[in-house]
Amino acid sequence: MVKLNNSSDLKLVFKYALKDFSRNYKKILSIIVTLYISLFILSAIFTIEDSLKKELNDNAKSLLGGDLEIDYNRNQGNLDLINQVKEFATVSQMIEFSTMISTTNREKNKSLFTRIKTVDEKYPLYGKVVYEPKGAYERIQKEPNTILINESLTKTLNININEVIKVQDQLFTVVGIIKTVPDVSGFVAFGDWALAGKQTLEILKLNGIGSFLNYEYKVKFNHNDNAEILEKKIKNIFKNDQKVKLRYPENSASGLKRIISNFSQFLSLVSISAMLIAGIGIANTLLSFINHNNMSIAVRKAVGFYSGNIKLLYYMQLFILLFIITIFAYCSSFLIVPIADKYLSDGLGLNINPIFSFLNFLKIFLVGFLVLLIFSIPTINAIDQVKASNLFRNVFQNLQFYYSKKSITISIFLLSILILLFTLGSENPVYSLGYFGAFFVCLIVFFLLSKLIIFSLKKIKSFSNISLNVSIKNITQTKSITPITIMSLGLGVTLLLTLALVGTNFKREIAKSIPDIAPDYFFVGIQKGEREKFEQSILSMDPNASIEIVPMVSSGIVKINGINPNTYITPDNDSYWVIGSERRSSWAKKVPEDNPIIKGKWWDLSKNNQLQISLDAKVAKDLNINIGDIFTLNIYGREIEGEIINFREVDYRDLSINFAMLFNPQFAINIPHEYLATTKFDNLDKFNEIQMLKILPSLSMIKIADYLNKVTSVLNKVFIAVTLISTVTIVIGLIVISSAIMVQGKVKEFQNLVFKILGFSKKKVVFSSLIEFIIIFISVILIAIFFAVIGSKFIMENIFELVWKFDVIVLIYLGLSIGLVTLLLILLTNLKYLNPKIYPLIRNQ
Amino acid sequence: MNTLLKLKKVNLKYQTGKKNISVLKDINLITKKKESISIVGESGSGKTSLIMLIGGLERATSGKIFFQNQEITKLSEDSISEIRKKNIGIIFQSFYLIPNYTAVENVALTLELNKFKNPEKEAKMLLERFGLKHRFNNLPGQLSGGEQQRVAIARAIAMKPELILADEPTGNLDTENSIMISEILFKYIKEEGSSLIMVTHDQKLANKAKRKIKIKDGKIK
Repeated sequence: MVKLNNSSDLKLVFKYALKDFSRNYKKILSIIVTLYISLFILSAIFTIEDSLKKELNDNAKSLLGGDLEIDYNRNQGNLDLINQVKEFATVSQMIEFSTMISTTNREKNKSLFTRIKTVDEKYPLYGKVVYEPKGAYERIQKEPNTILINESLTKTLNININEVIKVQDQLFTVVGIIKTVPDVSGFVAFGDWALAGKQTLEILKLNGIGSFLNYEYKVKFNHNDNAEILEKKIKNIFKNDQKVKLRYPENSASGLKRIISNFSQFLSLVSISAMLIAGIGIANTLLSFINHNNMSIAVRKAVGFYSGNIKLLYYMQLFILLFIITIFAYCSSFLIVPIADKYLSDGLGLNINPIFSFLNFLKIFLVGFLVLLIFSIPTINAIDQVKASNLFRNVFQNLQFYYSKKSITISIFLLSILILLFTLGSENPVYSLGYFGAFFVCLIVFFLLSKLIIFSLKKIKSFSNISLNVSIKNITQTKSITPITIMSLGLGVTLLLTLALVGTNFKREIAKSIPDIAPDYFFVGIQKGEREKFEQSILSMDPNASIEIVPMVSSGIVKINGINPNTYITPDNDSYWVIGSERRSSWAKKVPEDNPIIKGKWWDLSKNNQLQISLDAKVAKDLNINIGDIFTLNIYGREIEGEIINFREVDYRDLSINFAMLFNPQFAINIPHEYLATTKFDNLDKFNEIQMLKILPSLSMIKIADYLNKVTSVLNKVFIAVTLISTVTIVIGLIVISSAIMVQGKVKEFQNLVFKILGFSKKKVVFSSLIEFIIIFISVILIAIFFAVIGSKFIMENIFELVWKFDVIVLIYLGLSIGLVTLLLILLTNLKYLNPKIYPLIRNQ
Repeated sequence: MNTLLKLKKVNLKYQTGKKNISVLKDINLITKKKESISIVGESGSGKTSLIMLIGGLERATSGKIFFQNQEITKLSEDSISEIRKKNIGIIFQSFYLIPNYTAVENVALTLELNKFKNPEKEAKMLLERFGLKHRFNNLPGQLSGGEQQRVAIARAIAMKPELILADEPTGNLDTENSIMISEILFKYIKEEGSSLIMVTHDQKLANKAKRKIKIKDGKIK
């Protein structure tokens, strides 16, 4: 780095930095463009993430539905305790459940498994419900058998206002359409739902398990009351009630917040890759810029400028450039927010506005500063090589990157800060660190590849084809752009191919592989006496349908080895859901085919009067459970102790019936239960949902294809965003290559002039460029495919736990597209050097 | 104490590959204040190397150089820069003006480096003195060779240095311009009392100096 002198020196250097910058910025246009693009992407990610999180935080009470939420899950809860809360706060009851909604009076009626939210007249305690027409919301409170449906549902079932629909076997009139509700939750974001008055629950026949009932009480404190004191008071009221869960505004939309953090972490990593690729180009362009200013630097040294001050002059110019670009990039990222807002308001009903955050601006500036510094240190240090004595000799040798032990140490230190900046603040530091590791491994491999190509081609004696000889000479010459081309193109292509392979594998799994093995329908709410009727009805429609039907009971883990289960696991653990609320469990006589036992033994028939539990091996590992441990379960209000006797490997990906806990049937058979079934039809068209609902009105049917379509539609949007951002890395890579060619422009012009004098045709020059490109690109694409295959396989199999398959079509398609674009760019950039003006060159002007 | 510069057994060697080339051999030279010296000799004799050493732009392999009784051979590059910016002005054969700075800015650079209060005003006065009033805001590319060299001289003398080093100051100019430049240079040292060490092939110009030194094969003859 440079030695800082006194403040007047600093002032002088700054003045000259400003002056030089105002006159030189056109010469460093590629630095400006690449820096702007990468900082813009990073700014956009930060701004959208911040705006979203602010929206969620600002509306935390609306999203939660109150100052506090009392969640009783499947039970109505202790009304005495609720009444105690009502004495000092407003309480609104909300019950959510899932059931079938069907159209009526149509030639071909349609039905859909739908989430319904029943609310009382106090709803919503915070925020507002947006609906149409006017007065519709009041009608659902006053008039029984009325319902408001959301926009998605109107489209899916093609329902109009005032149309009569069936909810189970009851007729309801659709009195309006809901646009948004303040308390957005997971299902609202994803699917079809409806809002009904509190009396609806009494009209319908709902059962506990199949309807996925959920009782919640939202609490709003009086304006002047102290929220902290009241929270403590409510905590105290429910201290002995183990079934209740209290939630606070800061817990609202926690899932959504986690998704946002994860997604923005991933996009930030992609954008920092783009920045690092840009850094390679910046170093190269900067070196060329300094070479261009070689004489001016020597003059400055001759008139008495310190070398350190001259270096400082260049650092300051970069600093000024970065400051201006960061302002532009950050401000222009606000223009992206309305686009993101459109997608988010459509999907989540959230409205985001751009928010200026000085901290974000600083973060973006710091990232840019670190990248600039890391890549400019070896370049600006090259200024030391400029000697004022060159002015006497009229000889200016081209400068080279200058690496000293000190500069390498500083660069590594700055790089570590950059990595830490992205790793420590991220949702998943291990993945971030892994990403950086993979990035630098790729960078090193591509660098070594470039050296290997140069080394191998140098060994080759000349060919009879002159174009081939020229192209080999171009690749192997000193200061050739081969390493820069291979590194920047290689990293960009690797990233794009990896993401493309992940994307196509993911979509294939959801669109084809999962539906192939998954059942067509899930049926819930089959009561104990309805099992035979259900099976007969299915088989009467499609005799070849394969039905899997299992008993199902709801249970919650109250204690593990006599102590609170929360001491075994933290809420951020993947397996927290097992103890988070009541779960459905089943029993089986034989070991399920796709659930092999990996530890312990199947049921101990000598202990038929005791509850024995078979546990999902991953859950056991996450909870640190051993064979012989005791779970205390709450089943229909009774606490029953059960011993863990084996672990099963459960694979949930095939969407067949899987349970984290299985009981020994000898004990469980006496527990009141209902059935859960899946069916795979031989011919799906033979199944009639409406007919089935007539036979079993309380039955709920979940069509897997509908949900997979919804997942695919969400994923498509996600992959568009991911592909767009990863394409930026390619664009930056291309700018880097193009600028590298331009850096060599003078040499190319001379070369082409000599060729012209020697009678070497333009066609041959173009052909040699083509050969040069083919040699480099084939090497790059092969290595990039290798990395993309390893990377995408790891992501699919280890992170998403899905099947990975090699997709040659995507690779060919993308490889050819990138190849063509790169070739075009190289040819276009070289074009202007094809017709050198002879006179100025031979006169050395 | 009239001595401005003293060179004592100064040697300069370059290494090219495994070969050591002796450029200057045991140079002893004393320059008094207000003295003008021309250095002549054949190409490759070591003339330019000598003024590079005097200007502190090259380090001697051995020997000592004193400037105003201070040994500069032992100083750091920054300290030599400090001496150069205050006391030594250099004029090159190829002018070497910063291409994207105007004539005024090129001259003001030295003044600003020495913390002058009104560097641009001072620079304009100098340029006016050299007949370049109409060229204040022109870039070097818009000036003739003679004009460029006048700007370069203005830059070199802006600080009223004790010593002016000139390397073939008229080497790239036509006769008319050469005469003009030499007149300006000698008029200036006469008026301001600076010393001049000038390398030249031009005998007429060399003869204008009070003392003429001939260098042959790295040695003063």
